[in-house]
Amino acid sequence: MIALTALTELTLSRHNPLVDPHLHIWEWQIPVYLFFGGLVAGLMIIAGVRLIALRPQQREALVCCTIGPLMGLAFLSLGMFTLFLDLSHRLYVWRLYTTFQITSPMSWGSWILLLVYPALSANALAHLPEAVPSLARRFPILVTVSDAILARVQWVVGIGVANVMVGIALGIYTGILLGTLGARPLWNSAILGPLFLFSGLSTATALLHGILVVTTPDEERPAFADFLLSALAQLTQARPLDKNIAPVLARADNSFLTIELTLIGLFLLGQMTSTGIHQQAASLLLTGPFAAVFWVFVIGLGILLPLVLQSLELNNRIRHTIAPVILVLFGGIALRFILVYAGQQSHWFQPLN
Amino acid sequence: MNAPFYKFGLFGDEASLIIAFVIGIGFGFFLERAGFGSGRKLAAQFYFRDLSVLKVMFTAIITAMTGLYLLSRLGFVDLSLVYLVPTFVVPQIVGGLLLGIGFVIGGYCPGTSCVSSVTGSIDGMVYVAGMIVGLAGFAEVYPSMQSYVQMTPMGQITLARLFNLPYGLLVFAVVLMALAAFAAAEWAEKKVTGTSPDPKGSITGGPWRMTPVRILATGLAAAGFVALIAGDPYRGSHASIDTRDLAIRVGKGVDKVQAAQLADWIIQGRNDFKLVDLRSERDFDAYHIPTAQDLPLASLTPDFAAHNDRIILYSGDGTEAAQAWFLLEAQGFKNVYLLDGGLRAWQTIVLFPQKSAGTDPAVFEKQVEVAKYFGGAPREEGTSPAASVAVALPKLAAPAQPLIPAGNSSNTQPKKKKEGC
Repeated sequence: MIALTALTELTLSRHNPLVDPHLHIWEWQIPVYLFFGGLVAGLMIIAGVRLIALRPQQREALVCCTIGPLMGLAFLSLGMFTLFLDLSHRLYVWRLYTTFQITSPMSWGSWILLLVYPALSANALAHLPEAVPSLARRFPILVTVSDAILARVQWVVGIGVANVMVGIALGIYTGILLGTLGARPLWNSAILGPLFLFSGLSTATALLHGILVVTTPDEERPAFADFLLSALAQLTQARPLDKNIAPVLARADNSFLTIELTLIGLFLLGQMTSTGIHQQAASLLLTGPFAAVFWVFVIGLGILLPLVLQSLELNNRIRHTIAPVILVLFGGIALRFILVYAGQQSHWFQPLN
Repeated sequence: MNAPFYKFGLFGDEASLIIAFVIGIGFGFFLERAGFGSGRKLAAQFYFRDLSVLKVMFTAIITAMTGLYLLSRLGFVDLSLVYLVPTFVVPQIVGGLLLGIGFVIGGYCPGTSCVSSVTGSIDGMVYVAGMIVGLAGFAEVYPSMQSYVQMTPMGQITLARLFNLPYGLLVFAVVLMALAAFAAAEWAEKKVTGTSPDPKGSITGGPWRMTPVRILATGLAAAGFVALIAGDPYRGSHASIDTRDLAIRVGKGVDKVQAAQLADWIIQGRNDFKLVDLRSERDFDAYHIPTAQDLPLASLTPDFAAHNDRIILYSGDGTEAAQAWFLLEAQGFKNVYLLDGGLRAWQTIVLFPQKSAGTDPAVFEKQVEVAKYFGGAPREEGTSPAASVAVALPKLAAPAQPLIPAGNSSNTQPKKKKEGC
């Protein structure tokens, strides 16, 4: 029966990963891009909200509004580079921008990505002189631009709202990119949109939290974090310490992680109550070959453990460290790798056994 | 439900990894809380300043020991299915000394170094890196020192079996030894550091009240005493058999392995099963399925293989195999299978497959490949199986797979999947 199943699968649907070389079309580039896309979406939303609700002299707000967007620009460029690496015909990439196809998620994505750069840049420029004074001294034009933006309330609000809107669009698009592909039953769920959005928000919050933790001049800070990220720490050391933000970010991250966990539950619930094909696809994650990595790296290390650690931090039971930050970021990468790889193993052929 | 759960197939490989994750997090958490993420605290035991490690490890040993003993006496655990690491006296003494030296120098043992490194201490990370380099180095030099590593083998031996003592007596003795060691440790700590131990965590110190530590010690001593009078935790050779369970399994046909599947396993080089040929030595020498061992029915004693080994039996027409199957089931072997159809099925399906009208050409092509691998050939359409099988069984030219010499000792068996720590 096993031989027969394998054979029928081979001849009818061409879905044998060891035989058919074209099964696994998406390699590491796509999950890495999806991770960076989600991370940038999260950074944009947080930056937009903080820009509108900024109170002066808050170091954490400056980190959210300036360092976050600057890193976001770098991450987005990295992500788009991996996307570019994935293309078969790299020289024709410009053709994506000669058209707009309303029914194509790829077309939506390429235009959204183009909007991200100006929105993020504007957000970063608004408070750049305050966040990094040394840079402003060298390039006085930055002060002029910043003053021009901050002088007009409607500009500030406009940039903030634009960041939030484009961020939400980008975050949802990274999930919809998979969700609209009907050929892969595991991906074929609209919940992937919000799931990737909230996963992106949680990784972005964790990243900002991590930056605040390592740049906090705390005697008790773990030595190895200092060792690894001292360069980053020097960048914002001039700012006075604000004791409020790390808890705010940790609390926000806990909410995002909880929502993410709920969405994963709904995603699996939807799959398990759908057709046999979808149940079979979901069982790849629940009991199949991806079960161990999914439950350990995504649910256990990526969501539950950071939830516990951050709750302890919020209750002042343990110090704020970058341990939950690393776990959340790693969990975000793991979620996308596992979904992309497992999705490519799910298919419409139902075995006979 | 009987334990060990994994051996009884309660869950598969994937689930076992998830359970390992949960247990690992718990283990690491309590080690860290006990202060075992600190090399200073761990190394202090070698200077008799702080003997927490001795106390924790000894407590773990006697908790597990009394627990396993009582659970198996109550019928929840089948101890014969629990894997025991084989004993090699001299290499293990040398290895233990090396580990101890490394422990004193580095301040960690393997498990605690992992705990230390995840708490962010750099010495722990260096220790883990050193451990990985050491493992790779050992793997490189292993072939040249294999004869030494396997010196003085004693097999899977327990103290009770070695000294021919009742298991219960041994359990009780070890519990008493542990309690004495705790008292001695507290005395040594007091002598070296000059301060009396914290009465909350002490057995001997402080006023005589029933602290939680003393309640725990009393409980363990009581469990040890119960073990002393409760008898042997291993099930005897006169094991009973659940006939209804047996009938259900036979009815479902899960006790059989198909010839084609066995052929696949042999080609894949799988070594997680023992293939047993029950025919006479003469027949065995004339032809046997590659990797098979020749074992007559009488030699299938309870200790001819581990009780959790996967064993596949075959004989000429299947009668002896069926008898042996029942014998082994009654002796408590849990993974015994029959080759469906015996050697005859092997001949007609694997060695000399025949194309029939309903066979898919691609399936048949694979069957021909398999047949060629084992030195057989496809039959022409229409020839009767008996006629062609009578032509010739392939000569005993060893296929690509190395054959196991008959009547081998345990040292030359195919390498088993490593278990335990």
